[in-house]
Amino acid sequence: MPGPEKETEGNVEKIKQHPFVKKVGFNRVILFCVMILMYLAFAIMVPGFFGLARIMSIMNYVYFLGFLSLGVTFVIATGGIDFSIGPVMFCCGLISGYTLVNKGAPVVAALIISVLIGFLFGVFNGYLVSYWTIPPFIVSMASMNIAKGIAAVYTKTQSVSWPLSNDPAGGWFRNLVSCNGFPVGLVIFLVAAFICMIVLNNTKPGRYILCLGSNREAVRLSGVDTKKWEMLAYVICGTLVGIAAIFFVGAYTTVQPGYGDQYNNEAIAGCVMGGTSMVGGLASIGGTVIGVLIISLLQEGILALGFAKDIQLIVTGLIVIVVVYADVMARRRKN
Amino acid sequence: MADAILTMEEIDKSFPGVHALDHVHFDVQCGEVHALMGENGAGKSTLMKVLTGIYSKDSGTITYEGKEVAFSNTREAQEAGIVIVHQELNMVGDLTVAQNIFIGREFMKGFTIDDKKMIEESKKLFDELKIDINPRDKMSDLTVGKQQMCEIAKAISHKAKVIIFDEPSAALTEKEIEDLFTIIRDLRSKGLAIVYISHRMDEIKVITDRVTVMRDGGYVGTLITKECTKEDIINMMVGRVIYEDPKTESKVPKDAPVVLKVEHLNAGRMVQDVSFELRKGEILGFSGLMGAGRTETARALFGADPKTSGDIYVNGEKVTINSPQDAVKHGIGYLSEDRKRYGIVVQKTITENSTMATLEKYMSGIFINKSEEKKITEKYIKELATKTPSSDQLVVNLSGGNQQKVVIAKWLVRDCDILIFDEPTRGIDVGAKNEIYKLMNRLAAEGKSIIMISSEMTEILRMSDRIVIMCEGKKTGELDISEATQEKIMSKATRDIA
Repeated sequence: MPGPEKETEGNVEKIKQHPFVKKVGFNRVILFCVMILMYLAFAIMVPGFFGLARIMSIMNYVYFLGFLSLGVTFVIATGGIDFSIGPVMFCCGLISGYTLVNKGAPVVAALIISVLIGFLFGVFNGYLVSYWTIPPFIVSMASMNIAKGIAAVYTKTQSVSWPLSNDPAGGWFRNLVSCNGFPVGLVIFLVAAFICMIVLNNTKPGRYILCLGSNREAVRLSGVDTKKWEMLAYVICGTLVGIAAIFFVGAYTTVQPGYGDQYNNEAIAGCVMGGTSMVGGLASIGGTVIGVLIISLLQEGILALGFAKDIQLIVTGLIVIVVVYADVMARRRKN
Repeated sequence: MADAILTMEEIDKSFPGVHALDHVHFDVQCGEVHALMGENGAGKSTLMKVLTGIYSKDSGTITYEGKEVAFSNTREAQEAGIVIVHQELNMVGDLTVAQNIFIGREFMKGFTIDDKKMIEESKKLFDELKIDINPRDKMSDLTVGKQQMCEIAKAISHKAKVIIFDEPSAALTEKEIEDLFTIIRDLRSKGLAIVYISHRMDEIKVITDRVTVMRDGGYVGTLITKECTKEDIINMMVGRVIYEDPKTESKVPKDAPVVLKVEHLNAGRMVQDVSFELRKGEILGFSGLMGAGRTETARALFGADPKTSGDIYVNGEKVTINSPQDAVKHGIGYLSEDRKRYGIVVQKTITENSTMATLEKYMSGIFINKSEEKKITEKYIKELATKTPSSDQLVVNLSGGNQQKVVIAKWLVRDCDILIFDEPTRGIDVGAKNEIYKLMNRLAAEGKSIIMISSEMTEILRMSDRIVIMCEGKKTGELDISEATQEKIMSKATRDIA
């Protein structure tokens, strides 16, 4: 009988682990060590490059990716995928920015619009995936193009520049990213990650999202409205993408219509690296946070070592493949 | 038999924990139709799988055309001339009939496929078999019956000498069955050997020359069809001694309230006008052969699959059940025959599985109250004697019997009064089986009402207070346990046109 054997194996593994390691998860601890080692490696190879000030300025460009990754973690947890997050983020930044700059809307309104657009895309994607049962791959590919198209039509294919921090009227919103050198963005991001963690592990939506990602039919036959909870994962994702847009424009100022695809890869890479399984059912917010930091570190490192920016694309592409392959292999071994 | 084209002797095959074939004998001659019969799990399919190389035998000999053979896969068997026509057809719906028949061995004209020649060859085949099908038609546009004819044509085109039909008539209409028989008779007159697996007694009488009966993996005997009666065959199929004490009378009082009443339930071909009642504290057995529509009835009742019509009453009140949510709301729980797919989330903990249907009870505000959750789970671990180191154990690490207990716990936590057990002991070893039986009896004694679908005759006779028998989507009988015998049940479970 294979059952009892497995039971003892599991126990042995658990007895060996320190309670803290058990709580955080063995993989997360490893991942954290990898991050520190990478940091040290880059610090040695590029002398004096990674001071605290330098890190803080880099961090400004990390938050938006972090929010994207948090969002897509929920979707991947259901066993789905969302390739529209990057372009939808651009769509949010463009439409709200255009409304702000060209139509004179107040900054607060622009920020709300950004989140709202993200939310609406989440509703759109989620509804089609869960109620119309269109494969998530197709839905998100289509809505990626829709997002690009809507943004281009609305802005008349003009790029939009958000106010700089010295702009008396609208510059204040940049304090959300960083205020007099204090990393406000980091605080907001970590708070958001903490909330996501609670939602995923301690609330009904999180429980059902993870369970249905693991075995949808069994959850449905337990009398659970799986469609509703699956859709909610996309809505959470969309909303976080809308927030990501704010941090994107807070860091990069200018948004150009027709782009955003590359951030899909980066966000998904961060998420999957953190231990969220592409097959669904397993997700870790803590892992996603570390994963995003590793991706960002790697990209900065590549630039600092003097490689062209395009190398980043190759590296992130390869990382996705390696990490997903590792996940597939781990599952195969379990079975 | 001197002129047997195929002889299988002393075939033995074991799987871990199961002696699937116990020194089975089977032979078939040229120009004969030989029926292979037996209950679910008697070993018919296993025997055919050993023959065609899907399984390897542990011992015994297969002699084909005078030579000993051992095929290592279906392709080898097919090349030698032994072909199975499966119940589920292996056809590519979007290709044409001709393309399907010659799939994998297409005629080529240079670098391109010679569709014209394939169509011509198919036409020749169909003419030979007197089948009226246009080889240019798309496979998915044909009826199941016609598709099956194509499958037969394909077998013939492989120069088959032995054709095995695995429940060929299950999905066919009366007219299609007649056509099928015409073809089979034609093949027989051409000297082919035919193995015919079916549960339908009347067909056996009509089309076959000999009948071999198997039971519990063993060979029971071979009869000449003309010289035997339906009763002879049934007696051979069920003639086992039941060692466990069968229930002799129901302890449910005659006036116990009806908790569930199903009237004229219809859902597709597999559930036709099914009506029954379930009383408080009763175990209602659902017996029948594979494909009788028992699981489909349960799933339609539970709202897992859509139904076309029918009324359901819970505690005398008419209720609407369109989804599992509705069913659960009315206190109905369903324990699937396929636990891993439909019952549990294997990669989650016992706790998460136990409260799956009842999470709203274990919330404080918007947060899940994990300590309460753990408490109730541990209560049921103790009560059901689930063997696990802790409630945090992933369900995947539990044995089949303990996984089943987790599913039971899920519905008990939910406080369901009506439980549908679909093959409750499938894939569970003997010791754990008895535990599940005890548990079911205890639940019934506590006033829960149980519907138990089972393909095991011993299980049905040991557990049920009353037995509903189904055959091909219809309810064909209902017996009180005091009057039920294996023979009576089997006779109602096999099809017989009056």
